[in-house]
Amino acid sequence: MARKRAFIPPVQRVRDGYAFNLGDDERQLITRLLTELSQLLMGESDDPRLVRMFPPAYHLADDAEADAEYQRLMREELVASRLTGISTVNAALHSPEPVNEESMVAFVQAINGLRLVLGTMLDVSEDLDPDDIDDDDPLAGEHHLYSFLSWLLDWAVRALGQSISQPDT
Amino acid sequence: MASTPSPAQLDLPGIDDETVPDRPWIVLVWNDPINLMSYVTLVFQKVFGYSLEKATALMLDVHEKGRAVVSSGAREKAEIDVFRLHEHGLWATMQQDD
Repeated sequence: MARKRAFIPPVQRVRDGYAFNLGDDERQLITRLLTELSQLLMGESDDPRLVRMFPPAYHLADDAEADAEYQRLMREELVASRLTGISTVNAALHSPEPVNEESMVAFVQAINGLRLVLGTMLDVSEDLDPDDIDDDDPLAGEHHLYSFLSWLLDWAVRALGQSISQPDT
Repeated sequence: MASTPSPAQLDLPGIDDETVPDRPWIVLVWNDPINLMSYVTLVFQKVFGYSLEKATALMLDVHEKGRAVVSSGAREKAEIDVFRLHEHGLWATMQQDD
């Protein structure tokens, strides 16, 4: 699905912002996945699919207490921030006008969030070649979805990268 | 023979909770198989305002060495940096510099 459209970037920098060149089916798919992600984020906090979404902040064993405190204070904020981002993306996907940089940043964060969950479920490794996945693999569909999201994210990052560069602070 | 802990020894666990104020905290980003290299570079530009060159060099450090120090400073600042990196889905942690 993704390959056939590769000559038209799915996300493009245009004069007054960023434009999505996506079919209705693709918009619906992304919206549906983001709805599932929202539900997952609002569900059980120990869901193993969410492990990459909420990494520890303090990794040293000596700082375990500090990490428990961080998770207690910040996890809810991280969930809220993600849900706000998802709402922004849903609005942006259905906008007839080009969207601004803030919406596009929310888009890359949300698509990456989907990849973190799918990648965790699929236990992807750095050298995984999508062509190695057999069509009769029970998770073949999820692997294709993961590849589609990677392709989409890469184009969105490229579109943003043309304008986001800032001097050293 | 077991000795009775002196009051000073009893105080020791309390000392562990304190952080030495002079040593800065460092924020590390760890390599992972999911995040795209181009995305990680973009996040470093966006979160820290680093130039494309600096962000790319840091990303390559993460990719090739398994981790890189991306910022440092007071504990509160480091925590904010970690949170912002977590918002972007990066595997970021912090520790006090040794």
